[in-house]
Amino acid sequence: MRHIISCFVENHPGVLARVAGLFSARGFNIDSLNVGTTIDPTVSRMTIVSTGDDQVISQIIKQLEKLIDVIEVRDLTQDEHVERELLLIKIECNKENRREVIELADIFRAKIVDCGPESMVIEVVGAGGKVNGFFNLLQNYRILQITRTGRVALPRAAATSAPQSTAYGVTKDQHSESEDQV
Amino acid sequence: MATHAKPEKVEKKPHPLAGQELQGSDIVMQVLADEGVDTIFGYSGGAILPTYDGVFRYNESHPDKKIRLVVPANEQGAGFMAAGYARSTGKVGVLIVTSGPGATNCVTPIRDSAADSVPVVMISGQVARASIGTDAFQEAPVFNIMSSAAKHTFLVTDENELEETIRSAFHIARSGRPGPVVIDIPKDVQNSHVKFKGEGLLHFRGYNDRMRQLHEMQITDKIASRFFRLLENSSRPLVYAGGGVICSGAAETLRTFIERYQLPCVTTLMGIGSIDTQHDLSMRMLGMHGTAFANYAVQDCDFFISIGARFDDRVTSDIKAFLANAKIAHIDIDASEHGKVKIADWGFHGDVRKTLEELMEHGKDFNKDFSPWVRHCQELRKNYPMDFNRETADLMPEYVLEELNKLIQGEAIVATGVGQHQMWAAQYIDVKEPRAFLTSGSMGTMGFGLPASIGAQTANPDRMVIDIDGDGSMRMNIGELETAVTYNIPVKVLMLNNNADGMVLQWQDLFYEKRYSGTEKNWHTKDFVKHAQADGFKFARRVEKKEDLHAALEAFIAFKDGPAFLEVAVAHSHVYPMIAPGKSYAQMLTGPFIKAREEVGDIDVSNTNAF
Repeated sequence: MRHIISCFVENHPGVLARVAGLFSARGFNIDSLNVGTTIDPTVSRMTIVSTGDDQVISQIIKQLEKLIDVIEVRDLTQDEHVERELLLIKIECNKENRREVIELADIFRAKIVDCGPESMVIEVVGAGGKVNGFFNLLQNYRILQITRTGRVALPRAAATSAPQSTAYGVTKDQHSESEDQV
Repeated sequence: MATHAKPEKVEKKPHPLAGQELQGSDIVMQVLADEGVDTIFGYSGGAILPTYDGVFRYNESHPDKKIRLVVPANEQGAGFMAAGYARSTGKVGVLIVTSGPGATNCVTPIRDSAADSVPVVMISGQVARASIGTDAFQEAPVFNIMSSAAKHTFLVTDENELEETIRSAFHIARSGRPGPVVIDIPKDVQNSHVKFKGEGLLHFRGYNDRMRQLHEMQITDKIASRFFRLLENSSRPLVYAGGGVICSGAAETLRTFIERYQLPCVTTLMGIGSIDTQHDLSMRMLGMHGTAFANYAVQDCDFFISIGARFDDRVTSDIKAFLANAKIAHIDIDASEHGKVKIADWGFHGDVRKTLEELMEHGKDFNKDFSPWVRHCQELRKNYPMDFNRETADLMPEYVLEELNKLIQGEAIVATGVGQHQMWAAQYIDVKEPRAFLTSGSMGTMGFGLPASIGAQTANPDRMVIDIDGDGSMRMNIGELETAVTYNIPVKVLMLNNNADGMVLQWQDLFYEKRYSGTEKNWHTKDFVKHAQADGFKFARRVEKKEDLHAALEAFIAFKDGPAFLEVAVAHSHVYPMIAPGKSYAQMLTGPFIKAREEVGDIDVSNTNAF
């Protein structure tokens, strides 16, 4: 099963290498890995998407918790959470089929962020299914380049299964947006 | 749940040097001294020169409490010396090496120490900060390399954090599941001048919290009652003691525990010494080359109590068949060991000694008569003992160790290399106490024995320290023979020479139709005795005949004038019992000389991918 793991780490140089090294050394999958700072500048949040059975995921969490620089690890999958990924995709497109692409983008609430005579860059944000759905649809076009951010995720405001006391561990943003559905 | 931990406040006098401006290298030395370091193993070089100068100046200015410096032939030797020091005392072993090759030569002992949970601090010089990343002379990415091998790695980029970093390295090496910590210090940081604070640690919110939680973990009534219910429902409980018992300083507690409830006890290779091998309840080592009686006890038990052990593949072999019909309890300080290999019916994440003490406190009134089972185990031990070809005129390696064992009677600290001789030492040498059997268990590093014995002897000048080695393992770090003479470290080196990498050759016999690729050394012309003599050994002998062995061993043990080297030319033999890789305990091969409980018949081992 696919899990989204939030890993808070000391914002020290080399921590990313150590975490990535742990995954490769122990044969764990990384589907995606995203790193960013939290509201506490000394703490970074890594959002790791990995696939494995319960035992593998439990090992991933426990092995991460053995790293000295790791502050806290949480499996967000069990609780209500929001997750997003951003995809930028550049496709070949001219005035003949531009209309059609814009329509598709509208259906997915994707944005056209750049447009030239021969190509177009589209941005789509959403949970994995939506991004993949959009991406699959665009397979009918000539895709020139893509880049994806990997998943980021936060527990929903309602998720109270674990105490959340640290400044970096809980989102101060109480706004709960409903997940985009196509 | 992480909270912002405040540094612990301990009311004490400020450090006498607090507030003074010191050179980085002097700060290194001062913190080492404050941490109780009395010996440094290491090799100098360009990028660590300032710190070696610091060692010299420290010893010049502290003639009454000098820190001993032992310089090996190769940095790998220093690493294993520090490990031998740490394994034999429980104190942190320290090595100081230079950048680049100095540091990379230590990858093996650092990984070895991590795999066997040995507290070691390695300090390496690094090129100056401005040169890092330029492929400077003797530059290697030590932080990256060691991050994959050590418990933790530091690169000191800010001279103002140097003293806290070194102090923290000791703290991390010792706490929780112990392990090696590497500190890479750029040369200009060693040369910098900063104000010495005399106290303070780096702040690791998560690690500190986890350590605190570990200490606060308590066996509650409910947790204890579940354990004792399992014990109550069991009629054949068996304790499985690992290296964690020794790390935790829990050997005495373990003895009380098994005596109190009358629980027979097997140990892992790393757990040798956690219980006196001669104890009535001791069933010695289990596993691939465990004793037949230990492995029969594992097959027969219905409740397996794992204490500071980790269900290594050399123990479990066929994991599905292992303990298929027994309940399992698992005590370990490392949360990740719980459920890694086997899911226990009862598990507790905590320090072994504290956990056992608390369990006994809760189980004061527990009484169940396990005497039929204890008698059964004792009969197993009596009926299926270790044995070998006693009739032959050949000098058998097992015989050598049996004879050695009679002479030392559990009184020596024994280190080993890796291979057949290591397994025979585990099977035939009696060990009375923890930290007296030093071996590279998890990594299986050939060449471990000699430097580890030198480190152990340095830490235990009044004990007899014996390195039981093989010719293959000896070659790996043979340069350290000279180190033993140079520093007059009176280790006794017993080398069983079968002119082969015997363990690998045994596998080639069994699994590769005797194609001895790369393992036979019959055409090698090395004269080990001459080598030892050239290095200055005053006792260097070779025994070739069975009838000469006893006298030679006696002289070897009795020799008092420095280190001693005894080579014994032994016949080829296979280590038995053997549970072939991937096979189950029921398929244990006992070989031609050890009595088997049941006929196992031929086992197809020709096509195994298990390692």
